[in-house]
Amino acid sequence: MTEFISNVTFIGNGIFITLQLLFGGLSIGIALGILATILKYNGFGIFFIDRIISILRGSPLILQLSFIYFSAPSVLGIKLSIVSAGIISFGLNSFAYISEILRAGIKSIPKGQFEAAKTLQIPNYYMWKDIILPQIVRNILPAMINEVISLLKETALISTIGGMDIMRTSQTLAAQQFSYFMPLCIAGGYYYGLVLLIEYLGRKIEYRSEYVKN
Amino acid sequence: MLKISNICKKYGDNLILDDISFMIDESKIVGLAGPSGGGKSTLLRCIQQLEKIDSGSITCDGQVCFMFQDFQLFPHMTVLENLLYAPKLNDQFKNHEQYAEKILKNLGIYDKSASYPAQLSGGQKQRVALARSLMIHPELLLCDEPTSGLDVATIFEVVSLLQSVRELGVTMMIASHDLDFLTKITDQIVLLRDGKILTTIETKQIENPINYLRKYY
Repeated sequence: MTEFISNVTFIGNGIFITLQLLFGGLSIGIALGILATILKYNGFGIFFIDRIISILRGSPLILQLSFIYFSAPSVLGIKLSIVSAGIISFGLNSFAYISEILRAGIKSIPKGQFEAAKTLQIPNYYMWKDIILPQIVRNILPAMINEVISLLKETALISTIGGMDIMRTSQTLAAQQFSYFMPLCIAGGYYYGLVLLIEYLGRKIEYRSEYVKN
Repeated sequence: MLKISNICKKYGDNLILDDISFMIDESKIVGLAGPSGGGKSTLLRCIQQLEKIDSGSITCDGQVCFMFQDFQLFPHMTVLENLLYAPKLNDQFKNHEQYAEKILKNLGIYDKSASYPAQLSGGQKQRVALARSLMIHPELLLCDEPTSGLDVATIFEVVSLLQSVRELGVTMMIASHDLDFLTKITDQIVLLRDGKILTTIETKQIENPINYLRKYY
């Protein structure tokens, strides 16, 4: 039992790296996603942004991660830490998916909502802030929760470049104990616990906007 | 009040409005009749500047507001928030809270102030849409198919609602394919077909306006 508890604590140390990667990646992904969506909506750089999204979605994440971590020193002359290489590559990758989710979100708003705001002489900025965005957020919530969950699990790839996340700590432990069963179960338990938490929060936010449905 | 001179509107190669000209006097209710695809909605949308006209001119003295066929209430706001949002942003409108209360009471939906649009019936949504338009004190109110999808009893309500709006001195233009409804409420009916005005009648001066208009369909 004490061995089990010490295993759980040891693997639990990785949770900080996992969460850093999740929140860092998500922040970059959302920020770039919003920026790209605004640019595209206003007709700027559509071709260019679409190509970037296509490339980011069209190559394996593990390739992008290794590319950024191992080739940045030789190409750009900067040595990235494991965690920052992870945040950048997970951020860029989830940007590709998030910007498509946002695009679908804008498309889901009837043209009439924009027109209604115009006929009521609501200025553009307020129209986006108070009328369009709240509806977009509500419509894309399920897809965004999906993206957060999938990003959380993808952060496990950081273990391939030596990041001490949940996955890597469990592998280290397994190597020490010559037994994979318990450490991997514990790591799985951590991931699943986090996923349950995300699902719970997501459902809470969705529930709050229930009356809002058309 | 409203002067439309020689306007044309094309979608691609399709001529939707073909050299339309007419005028509307203050405090009149004018109906736009005609078969579907005749250009009724497009004309209203051009007056509200939701569509650009290709040629001609539209001059209107006063505030214009548009009521959509499908209401387009803001689904994430309560009825009261729907009414107050636009005037709150504009210094030109004062005492809008009292005004909203007055309108909601007049339209008999004051008890729905805290409801969301999804919780309302079609007739109630119609009233909220009307109330929201009135909040910006329009001099000209454009209504696109205000009776579509409503049952007979509710259509009667719409008639009396619009008549009470007229008492506020608001000029109205109503596009509808429902001739029965239009003859009940309008002073004048303009009949549009294939983007052209076929005839204009003074509703009250013709014995049987419905039969007269049917000839043109």
